[in-house]
Amino acid sequence: MKLDPSFIWTAFVGLLPAIPTTLILTLVSVTCGFVIGTGTALARMYRIPVLAQIASGYVTFIRGTPMLVHLLLIYFSLPLLIDALSAQFDLGWNSAKVPMIAFAFVSFSITAGAYMSEVVRSGLMAIDRGQMEAALSVGMTVPQAIRRIVFPQAVAAALPNLTNSVIGMLHGSTLAFTVSVVDLNAKAQIVASTNWKYFEAYLAAAIIFWGLTIAIERIAAAIERRISLYSRGGVA
Amino acid sequence: MEYGFDITYIFDFIPKLLQVLHLTLAIVAGAIGIGLIVGLLAALPRLYKVPVLQRLSQVYTSFFRGTPILIQLFLFYYGLPELLKLVYIDVTKLPVLFFVIVTFGLNAGATISEIIRAAVTAVDRGQVEAAYSVGMSGYQAFARIVLPQAIAIAVPVFANLVIAMLKETSLAFALGVMELTGKAQTLGTLTRHFMETYIALAIIYLAVSFTLERILLLFERKLQRHMRRDAADAERRWRLWRGRKPMRERSPEVSGKEVPRYEA
Repeated sequence: MKLDPSFIWTAFVGLLPAIPTTLILTLVSVTCGFVIGTGTALARMYRIPVLAQIASGYVTFIRGTPMLVHLLLIYFSLPLLIDALSAQFDLGWNSAKVPMIAFAFVSFSITAGAYMSEVVRSGLMAIDRGQMEAALSVGMTVPQAIRRIVFPQAVAAALPNLTNSVIGMLHGSTLAFTVSVVDLNAKAQIVASTNWKYFEAYLAAAIIFWGLTIAIERIAAAIERRISLYSRGGVA
Repeated sequence: MEYGFDITYIFDFIPKLLQVLHLTLAIVAGAIGIGLIVGLLAALPRLYKVPVLQRLSQVYTSFFRGTPILIQLFLFYYGLPELLKLVYIDVTKLPVLFFVIVTFGLNAGATISEIIRAAVTAVDRGQVEAAYSVGMSGYQAFARIVLPQAIAIAVPVFANLVIAMLKETSLAFALGVMELTGKAQTLGTLTRHFMETYIALAIIYLAVSFTLERILLLFERKLQRHMRRDAADAERRWRLWRGRKPMRERSPEVSGKEVPRYEA
């Protein structure tokens, strides 16, 4: 078997329709993950009695096990839960009606949440205590101080890690093929299955992923320049 | 799914899964071994700014950090035999495990080269100057002064990488390697008790990564003992001894971009 350069292009074009799926998987997991992560981080930082323990258990468990295991666990346990619930309350629908991608959304969000909570936590901890105190001393309430003073700075501090998380989730979204979601990776398999030119197909997929990753890095760098304007040194 | 959840299966599955633990650990060890060599080779041209090699190493790092490891696995599995055929080496008879270890190794190499680069850059330049001023040669200054400090800086990040690698090995199942995840899937299919298998699997991964983390933490403390000899150190050791996680201090030079990405 020889390398067929023209098929790389064919595969590339064939893969394009799958890009939105990959991006949506990434976007949903990162967004939901950020919300979960912020909640988790705040619960741990403010040591809210029961929640803090649950939160650290959650983070430890997720960070100690592979993303694939989370996906498989959700994929096999969530239907049982849904069926039990719908039988209990007579909802008239069952797990078969749930689209496959929903399992990927739930599982990836749970995974992202744990990693995001560490990102948010390190971001919040990077902010000097004095900032909070200064905000309180000019009469802001704690939520105001967090929202207006601490959070914007924390986001700036956490941005590099946040970017890493986004890229991690982009790469992690390839796992969706295990629950038969047709993302880029699965599409590469499908494109190649007609003529067995797997190498070419995966090469095309790799190029797309590489491009997406570089694009995310560029965007993040631009945002970082903009967002950390306040902290530049110098006089001008 | 017509079965009830049965907790006894979990205890039943754990010993069965443990039988293939050595495969997972072998992949991790092999990958880290290859990664250390490749990573050092890739980091040196960029540290010493060697013209062409520097670019090559940049592209290598960017590619392996810019594409999902799952794609890399498939790419190498299908592509490496053809690539090596061009130089008349036949690898088609080699076990899949070989391809898995090579791919993970190259992937780890990219991250390790970044870690090495960040760590060496993080060592204060004055240290080298001081070494020169007491009459050390360039090699001596690097080997005796810079390297020990760089290693101490790099170890926490390296520990993260090892844990991340452990979790990424779960992807090897995609090529049909019978490591922990592959075995779990087989067990699940055989017994139709998927949830119990995956819970058992999660427990094993959790235990292994916890153990690895603990070992690497001890290692880290040992290497970093030159950094702090004060009350805080005693406190930290005490916490460590009691099995608590010491408060991680931030090292701004190596945090940020150089932290390996988690995947899988």
